[in-house]
Amino acid sequence: MEQIILLIPGLPILSALLTQLLGPCLGRRVARLSVIGTLLTFGLSVAALWLVLTGQQQTTVSLFGSGVFLLLDPLSTLMAVVIAGISLVVHVYSLRYMAEETGYGRFFVLLDLMTATLLVMVAAGDLLTLLIAWHLVGVLLYFLLGQNTRDVSAYRYAFWTNITYRIGDLPLLIAAVLLYQAYGTGSLSILFEQINTNPGTHQVLGWPLMDVVAALIALAAFARSAQFLLHTWLPYSMSGPTPVSALMHAGIVNAGGFLINRFAPVFVHSSEILHWVFIVGLFTAVIGSVLMLTQNDIKKSLGYSTMGQMGFMIMECGIGAFSLAIYHLIAHGLFKGTLFLGAGNVIHAARGDDGVPKEDLYTFVVERRPIRQRLPWRLMAAITLAVPIAILVAAHWLVAEDYFQKQSAIVLLFFGWITGAQLIFTTYRMQTRNLRRLITLSIFSFAVVVLGYTLISHAFDLFLYPDPAFREQIYAAADFDLFWFDLLIGLIALVIIFGWVITSFSDQNGNHKGQFRRRLWLSFYALVSREFYLTDLYTRFSRALLAFAGRLNLWLRWI
Amino acid sequence: MQIPAYLLIGLFLPLFPLSMGFNFVLGRSRYALLRILLLLIWPQIGLTLLQTLDSPVPDWVVPLALFTAALYALRALALRDVGQWSGFLATSAWALLWIAIQGDVTILQLHLFALGFSAPLVLLALLGAGLERRFGAAYTGLYGGLTESIPRFSAILVLVVLAIIATPLFPTFFIMLATVMQAVTLMPLVAVVVAFVWLLWSWAGARLLQGLIVGPTNAEGIFDLNRLATGAYALGLILLVAGGLYGIGGLL
Repeated sequence: MEQIILLIPGLPILSALLTQLLGPCLGRRVARLSVIGTLLTFGLSVAALWLVLTGQQQTTVSLFGSGVFLLLDPLSTLMAVVIAGISLVVHVYSLRYMAEETGYGRFFVLLDLMTATLLVMVAAGDLLTLLIAWHLVGVLLYFLLGQNTRDVSAYRYAFWTNITYRIGDLPLLIAAVLLYQAYGTGSLSILFEQINTNPGTHQVLGWPLMDVVAALIALAAFARSAQFLLHTWLPYSMSGPTPVSALMHAGIVNAGGFLINRFAPVFVHSSEILHWVFIVGLFTAVIGSVLMLTQNDIKKSLGYSTMGQMGFMIMECGIGAFSLAIYHLIAHGLFKGTLFLGAGNVIHAARGDDGVPKEDLYTFVVERRPIRQRLPWRLMAAITLAVPIAILVAAHWLVAEDYFQKQSAIVLLFFGWITGAQLIFTTYRMQTRNLRRLITLSIFSFAVVVLGYTLISHAFDLFLYPDPAFREQIYAAADFDLFWFDLLIGLIALVIIFGWVITSFSDQNGNHKGQFRRRLWLSFYALVSREFYLTDLYTRFSRALLAFAGRLNLWLRWI
Repeated sequence: MQIPAYLLIGLFLPLFPLSMGFNFVLGRSRYALLRILLLLIWPQIGLTLLQTLDSPVPDWVVPLALFTAALYALRALALRDVGQWSGFLATSAWALLWIAIQGDVTILQLHLFALGFSAPLVLLALLGAGLERRFGAAYTGLYGGLTESIPRFSAILVLVVLAIIATPLFPTFFIMLATVMQAVTLMPLVAVVVAFVWLLWSWAGARLLQGLIVGPTNAEGIFDLNRLATGAYALGLILLVAGGLYGIGGLL
């Protein structure tokens, strides 16, 4: 029965082959073959997940006795369902969306190959298979993004994606080689077993092997998941077809979270790396969200939103909430895929009528009209303090008695608090006729999000990491030094309090901004709207490198 | 005696500036068959000569080999001529054989590695000759949009370039993997440089492809590969993949 894991990526490969071979005979109808193949793949993935849910033990399956191994375990089956499901939706959507495009058959062949590669990637049971699949995802994405071969700019941005992914492939390659050299096996299950029994004896350049490998894997995850400094490709990859954007944002860009989860046994034995993962994720989440707010193009805005979400997902890994990161990438994949596939309709509909009622919310958000009457700020400030405390107590009662001692949970709660405080800041600045309804809705949605996250995190933890000792190890590896932890929590609390002080101050001054503040704000806005000049910097660097290469050729007489 | 011997070998297993010799000869070769022979035989001569020496490789060779590989990979970024591009990629790839030589790789495996690097370059030499026949020059950015005008040729060209830049399943991928493995044994920083060279290959490959296959076509009426030629190229590529998976990669 465990052979099912071989069939899951095997079906889309077969479908790609048939689509390519029968394309000349069947014409555009050949795409239906591809859809049927993906539907069957989805069915098999669900069956595999069901097997695992009903007690099937983790197994490594060899492909016809070869050196290719696939893993049948909770992580691989869960990810397979997500990938096959999203791929199925993208396939069905593309049937009509791509109908007018040239290279219709090629598109479905590439889509099938991408689905198969992603499925192999999540189920890879050995280092070599993982490396091959990880590398191939970037190559296939390059050609999918460049589906329209007439569009030079689409290829330019597809290249940005490809080169960033290649930058991310190389640390993973070196990490895999280091692990293989140290433990003499490529099989992931044997490797993790050996790491657990003997983690600390190997060194690389004087550093512990586990730290070096964890850092390299984290780097690979950063490049794949568009973390800050390796993110510039993401918003520009929108030049590709919309179904590819949906697939990319729903199933490819979030592979960083998967990779960190797959190598959880390595991260457990590393010392400081998860803290760096947390910092990079946090920074990316903030920068991505800020950049998203300044975009006026819906697809680019969604691209930056993905960057922010990926930052949050990586940050969750950094605090040891590995399984929560998996939940996050699934949830994000589903809602972002939906948003992308619906983006075209929204643009089309907005051309006729934007459909936004010209009520208070519209005049406040769109027309930026000042408001006449506000909610009492003291009440709102009190809510931002009371709700997290209530949730903390509820979590303590519902989830675990030692909840107060779980640093990661507290950090997440604080971020939930920031989000909630932001919501309440916005609510405070809005005019309303029904105060009680607005406050109730704010608190309810805030509570649902934070409590939902807490409970779902717990459920995913139990499914993906059933061994309680290992779960504890993950959280322990992510634990901050108490001083830094208190400092972080204090800082976040100060930011929120500062926000309310500023709000109160502005309220008393009738929202009048001084010239200095106005200039400061405009400079900041210019910086953000130019995306911190990072794209310009990279473009200049690559142009300089190409010019240097050209000059070298000239000096060396082209030989 | 040792240094002159290694300098002679450095002509065939390229070490800068001796590497310029191969590119000079390749550039002067007007016939496709001659280019193919050069691409196939040149590194094999170097390996055969290496066998005759019984002294260990001197310490200065590895840094020079890494420099050569990186230099030619970097220079390939700014090339537009397909023939020159294949010469520079060959130089960069063969220079990396010095890293494999340092490890516990047998001489037979080294010959196979050299062949694995050369084989896709041979296919590119044939395709380059095809471009010259059709357009008078195998030059990127000159005509573009080949996907529309000659789709079969473009598909083969894409796969051949992917094979050259060490994309998974092709033998070059497994050779590079083995090279990184040897480099880690030597010193992890050497592995980083090898990985950097690999990255430059990917960049160079993408630039070459974008200059040929992307954009609106302005080459109407150009004849595409016939079915027989397409089949022959496809067979060559399948053999490469099989060689990568079964032979060098040892996966199957």
